[in-house]
Amino acid sequence: MLLTTLMIGLVLGGTYALVALGLSMQYGIARIMNLAHGEFMIAAAFCAYVLFNGAGLPPLVTLLIALPLGYGLSWLVYSVMMHPLVKRAPNRGQLEADSILATFGLLFILQGIMLLVFGSDFTSYSYLNHPINLWGTNIAANRLVAFIVSLTLGLGLYVLITRTRWGATLRAVALSPASAPLVGIQVDKVARQAFAIGGSLAAGGGVLVSMFVTFSAAGGVVFTMKALIVVIMGGTGNLMGAIIAGLALGIIETFVTSYIDPGLSLASVYILFIIVLLWRPQGLFGTARS
Amino acid sequence: MLEINNLSISYGAHLALDGAALFAAQGETVAILGANGAGKSSLLKSLTGMVAPQEGSSAKLFGEELVGRPAHEIVERGVIAVPEGRGVFGEMSVEENLLLGANPLRARKGEQARRDEVFDLFPRLAERKSQLVRTMSGGEQQMVAIGRALMSRPDLLLLDEPSLGLAPIVIGQLFDALAQIKSQGLTILIVEQNVRASLQLADRGYLIEAGRITGSGTAEDLKSDDAVQHAFLGGASAQGAS
Ligand SMILES: Nc1ncnc2c1ncn2[C@@H]1O[C@H](COP(=O)(O)OP(=O)(O)OP(=O)(O)O)[C@@H](O)[C@H]1O
Ligand SMILES: [Mg+2]
Repeated sequence: MLLTTLMIGLVLGGTYALVALGLSMQYGIARIMNLAHGEFMIAAAFCAYVLFNGAGLPPLVTLLIALPLGYGLSWLVYSVMMHPLVKRAPNRGQLEADSILATFGLLFILQGIMLLVFGSDFTSYSYLNHPINLWGTNIAANRLVAFIVSLTLGLGLYVLITRTRWGATLRAVALSPASAPLVGIQVDKVARQAFAIGGSLAAGGGVLVSMFVTFSAAGGVVFTMKALIVVIMGGTGNLMGAIIAGLALGIIETFVTSYIDPGLSLASVYILFIIVLLWRPQGLFGTARS
Repeated sequence: MLEINNLSISYGAHLALDGAALFAAQGETVAILGANGAGKSSLLKSLTGMVAPQEGSSAKLFGEELVGRPAHEIVERGVIAVPEGRGVFGEMSVEENLLLGANPLRARKGEQARRDEVFDLFPRLAERKSQLVRTMSGGEQQMVAIGRALMSRPDLLLLDEPSLGLAPIVIGQLFDALAQIKSQGLTILIVEQNVRASLQLADRGYLIEAGRITGSGTAEDLKSDDAVQHAFLGGASAQGAS
């Protein structure tokens, strides 16, 4: 029972980590706090649902479509909505305020469209729903697949960002945007890429989550909040921190659900968040950075 | 190789640079001397595309116009700057700073050999490859800034007050390194408060006062020039009297 709970928590946390990585890319590099992040996720979840029920397309195939599509659509959102704000903002604080307002609007637009098309009911579908025995505990195959894919994507991105020159240009923009042009880095292009990658991860996370969780058109906000909590717990800009914090959040939530009360799982998440915010505002793993 | 004509820069109503004209021949080191606020940094920033000069300004590198091009294209054309305050990536390691220095496509060829050259020039950097640049001394950070600039395989190196805030002995080492870079044939435009050291390094120099170029000459001439003596070197007579 304990091991099962731990594994289910870890699996849930894997997708949290992926979605939080997306938010972290958008916030840390493009400097945009995207409140519509969860809506991107839910939209992708509905895509997976529609394609599976309508065309029998397995979600893992949808994933291959969702990743580039999420990238492209986010690229478009950045170009149309965010770029004017970035150009106009005299400083980072102003951009944060403007982008929060703008993406708050986007949240309601996307949510409204989804409510119109899919209604407000919870949705789910059954795919790879047979148990797999792992070290004596049973876990649904869909969860296991989602976990493996999430972690592969997340760690893959982490390696790219920390080990390649391309990744170094992204980190340079995150850490010293004023110095980046000195070595020929196009800050605007990098910010757009980072925002688009963030959207791609949200879409991927949405498809993966839809394989084992019931979701609804209005459910994006909760995912955005959880991603935000994970980003702050992990330390803003700390990608490995976000991965670990995502896994931790999944485990904690699952333990509270199983051992205390399912109704308290969300409350426990926020309590944890407040404790972290008060006790270690730089995140659990973040080195305090000026 | 560099020809600047009628270069003017204004910040609002304030004219920081007024119709400057200067040139640098291939392999030459040119010093730009002037008091605080004369417009020296503005001049360099306009060459790298960080500040947009006024209509009618011209700066040609190998006969091709730089004015109006975005910063990344100018780097790609071989102009690299070490700005005032260095502009290093403080939260990254020495190695990563050098890796990013070779970010321009023109720099990819022979990158490994150039890294070795930089480590030969600044052995201290080779010892500290994985140190965070933020935690290094001012002199070491200046080495990182210059090393990073060299990694871009530049044709023209722009230096804005590289000696600022460094101890005299470190300044000496810095100018030794610059002399070595110069001897390899790189064209250098250097803005300095340390006039003695920069005229020692330079072949020629220009004087800027309140946004206008008011004088120029060979480094030898400038060293003995009255205006330079008075403005920067304390003046021969003043030195004699004290
Ligand atoms: N971004 C800016 N906005 C408004 N005015 C500026 C700006 N940058 C420079 N100036 C003004 O332009 C003039 C020239 O500045 P610049 O930095 O080029 O001088 P400098 O010769 O490099 O001086 P220093 O030796 O102090 O570095 C100064 O009067 C300065 O106040
Ligand atoms: Mg200056």
